[in-house]
Amino acid sequence: MRARGATRRSRAELRFDHTVLPNGLTVIGEYNPHAVSVAAGYFVRTGARDEAGDVAGVSHFLEHMMFKGTDRRSAADINRSFDELGAQYNAFTSEERTVYYGAVLPERLPQLLDLLSDMMRPALRQEDFDVEKNVILEEIAMYEDRPHFRVFELGGRCFWNGHPLGHSVLGGAASIRDLKRAQMLTYFEHRYAPSNLTLTVAGDYDWQAVTADASRLTGSWRSFEAGRELPEPQPAAGDGHTEDAALSRVHAAAFAPGVAATDDRRYAAAILANALGDDSGSRLFWALVDKGLADSASLGHEASDGAGAFVGYVSAAPDRAAQVIDIYRQVLVHSQDNALEPEEWQRSQRKLATGLTLRAETPLGRLVSLGVGHQTLGRYQSVQDVVRAVMESTVEDGRALLAERPFDRLYVHRLGPDGTPE
Amino acid sequence: MPAASSGDTIFEHRFDNSLWLLFEPMPWLPTLSATLLLPFGSATDPDGLDGSGTVLHDWLQRGAGSLDSRAHSDALEALGVRRGGGAGREAATLSASFLAEELAAVLPLVASMACAPRLDESEFAPARELAQEELASLADMPAQRLLDALLRRFLDGGPGRSPYGSRDGLARLTPASVRADAEHRLGPAGAVLALAGGGTWDEVRDVAGRALGDWRGASLALPEPTLRPPGQEHVAAESAQTQIGVAFPAPPPGDADVYTYDLALHVLSGSMGARLFTEVREKRGLVYSVGASYRALHGFGYTMGYAGTTPERADETLRVLLAEIRRLSEGVEADEFERARTGTLSSVVMQGESSSARASRLASDALLQGRARTLGEIRGAVEAVDLEQLNAYLAAHPFPPATVVTLGPRPLSQDVAA
Repeated sequence: MRARGATRRSRAELRFDHTVLPNGLTVIGEYNPHAVSVAAGYFVRTGARDEAGDVAGVSHFLEHMMFKGTDRRSAADINRSFDELGAQYNAFTSEERTVYYGAVLPERLPQLLDLLSDMMRPALRQEDFDVEKNVILEEIAMYEDRPHFRVFELGGRCFWNGHPLGHSVLGGAASIRDLKRAQMLTYFEHRYAPSNLTLTVAGDYDWQAVTADASRLTGSWRSFEAGRELPEPQPAAGDGHTEDAALSRVHAAAFAPGVAATDDRRYAAAILANALGDDSGSRLFWALVDKGLADSASLGHEASDGAGAFVGYVSAAPDRAAQVIDIYRQVLVHSQDNALEPEEWQRSQRKLATGLTLRAETPLGRLVSLGVGHQTLGRYQSVQDVVRAVMESTVEDGRALLAERPFDRLYVHRLGPDGTPE
Repeated sequence: MPAASSGDTIFEHRFDNSLWLLFEPMPWLPTLSATLLLPFGSATDPDGLDGSGTVLHDWLQRGAGSLDSRAHSDALEALGVRRGGGAGREAATLSASFLAEELAAVLPLVASMACAPRLDESEFAPARELAQEELASLADMPAQRLLDALLRRFLDGGPGRSPYGSRDGLARLTPASVRADAEHRLGPAGAVLALAGGGTWDEVRDVAGRALGDWRGASLALPEPTLRPPGQEHVAAESAQTQIGVAFPAPPPGDADVYTYDLALHVLSGSMGARLFTEVREKRGLVYSVGASYRALHGFGYTMGYAGTTPERADETLRVLLAEIRRLSEGVEADEFERARTGTLSSVVMQGESSSARASRLASDALLQGRARTLGEIRGAVEAVDLEQLNAYLAAHPFPPATVVTLGPRPLSQDVAA
C-alpha cells in the first residue's frame, strides 16, 4: 500500500471546481498550484457508437470539420489563432466521445476558451467539407497500412456482434464518400447539445474568470437533450479471420467480456488485465515475448458506457501464428483456474498507480482523465482517489472476476496471409 | 555544481570512471524519471553483425547482479517502476519512472543491467529471436520501413544502418560474439545517467555513486556521420499509401545557428497553421499526415520531411513538399515569425512540467552536444533571435539538395527532385 504516498504531497493543494450553466453545459476544473500551464477542452459525449449505419464515420469527420471554421473564423484563422497562443492542441474521436483540447500558458487561457468555444458552433461550409473528405480518405488509407490498428476494427465489429461499441470510428471509404454535408449537420444538431458537453480545465487558472467566460461564450447555445442508446451486449466468442495476402505477419485482436465504466469492479479488471497482459512482467509477456515467440502480446481492459471488454493483441510469423495464438488463449483461459498470486496482483497495482501519477504531472496529461472521469461518473475523482481505489482492490476482487470465466468466451480475430481456418 | 539560469537548475557530476550524472530537481513532483543512456547502437555494430547492439540491449534486461531475468523484472515491478527504453543508432536507453521515495531501491536495479548484466547463455536465444521477430514485423509497417530506407540512402556507413539489424547479421550472432561486443562498448565512458523529478541532489548523487561509481568497461567513440550523394530511390511495397521521405543536412547540434534554424522549421512545419500543413493538407487535401522536423546525431544535424498519400497523389505531394522547403529561403513574414517564436517558447515551458521529458532531454543533450541545457538557457537563446537575423540566415543558407525516398506500389512518374 505504499503507493498511497504517490500523491500525498500535493493532495491538500489541488482544488476541484464545478458548475452547470443554465444552458446545461457542465464546466469543471482541477486547479494545481504547481502548474505553469493550463489545459482546457470540450468533452463531447458522442462518438462512433452514436452513429446510424448510413453515417458511419461522421463523428470523426465532424471532428475534423470543427477545425474548418465558424461564422467568425475561417479554417486558416483557427489554425493561426492556436499558433498565436502558442498552444499545444489537437482533438480525438473514439467510440465513446469526441474531445477538443489545447494547453497554453495561463495568461492565454481566455483566448483559448474563446477559440475552443467558437469552434463548438462550426460553419460546416460545403467547400471545406469537400476538401476535408479527401483528408479523411487519406487517413483511412493510412490505417489500411497499419494492420495492428485495422485488426481491432475488424475484430471489434465481430465481437460486439451488432452492439454500437463495434462501430468503426473512421467509418469506411464508401460511407465517407457517400456522406453529405446535410447529414453531418443533422448529426451535429442532435448530438452537440450543451448538456452533452463538459468544458474541462486543468492546471493554473482563475475559476471566476473561467465561469464568466464560459457563460458569455456559450450563453446563446440552444438547449436540448442528446441521449445515448445502451443496449445489452451479446458479444460473440470463437474465432474470425480476414485474409490479406499482402501482409507478412498474422495480427490478432482478442476480446472478452469485461465491466462497464461505472462498475466498481473496473479497477480490479484493469489490474487483472495488467497482470495478464502488461507489456512487461505479465503472464503473456513471459509466455510469448520473453521467449521470442511473438514481438508483442498484450491485454488491457476497456471500460465503456454500459459495457466493457478485455482487449488484447498478438502478432506472429504466419508459420507459427497458430501456435502463438493457442498459447495466448491458453494463458488467459488457464488464469481462470490458476489462481492469481498476491505478489503479481501487487506488482500490477503499483505499476498502475505509478502510471496514473506520472500522467498527472502535466495539465495536458491530467485533462483527459479528469474530463473522461467526470463525464462518465458524473462526479469528481482526484488522481489520489483513483490511486487509492486501485491500491484497495484485492486479489480476491480479481479472482471474483476470473470466477465468471470471461476468457471461456474469448473472441480472437486474425488478419494476415493465412486467413484459412485451422 | 548547479548551472542555474532563470530559476531552473541542473546538477551534474562526473564520476572517476567518466560516467556523467545529471539531475534536474522538480521538487513539487512525487515522481522521478531516470534515463540511462549507453553509447552503443547500430552505428557501431561490429562489421557483419548488424543488430548486435539491439540484441545486447535486450540481453542486458534478462537478469543482472544476483537476480535472474524473472527475479530482476519482478523486483523492479514490485516497486511500481514503469520501464522504457530502446536500442537506437548511436545509443541504447534504459529508462524508468517511479515514485521518488523509491530511488534508493530502484536505481541499483536499473544500474545493474549496465554494470553487472548476467548475460546468461540460456537467455541469448530468446533475445535474438525477439529481435528477429521485430525485424520481420517491419514488413507490415510501411512508415517505419521508409524511415530506415531513407536513412540508409542518406547516410554512409554505420550511422545509416538500421537498429533493427539485418537477417544475416542477426543470424550470425552468437553468445560469444555479443559478449565480445559488450567488452568493447558497454562502458561508463560516454554513458549518461540523467534524472528529473522529486528528490534531492545529495541523495541522487549518493545513490548513483554507489550503484555505478565502480562500473568498469570499455567504450567506443561514435563515428562522425558522412553523407552519400543526394538522389532519389523507390522501394516497392504493397501498401495503400505511398510513403514519401526527404532528408538534407542541417546545422549540427550545439551550433549557434540551431535556434535560428529551428524557428525557420517551425514556420515550415511547427503546427497546423504552419506552411506544410496549410499548403499540402488544408488547401489541397493531399494527405492526412505531413511534416518536417530537425533530427540530430552526434555532431551532425539533418532535417527530415515526411508525407503519406495515395499513389495517384504522390507526385503532386512531393512537388508541393519540396517547393515549400525551397520557398523558405525567400524568408518568412513577421507574423509567421511571431507565431513560431510563441509556439517554441510555450513548448519549452511546458516541457518543464514532465519528469520523463526532462530526463530524456538532459540525456540526449549530453550525448549530442556534450552539455545539458537548462530550459532557461533555451528560452534565452530563442528569445535572442529576431526576424532580420532569421531572414538573413535563410538567404545565406539555401536548403541543400534533398535525398528523396518513396515506398509504395509504384515509383513516382518523374524524378521530381532533379
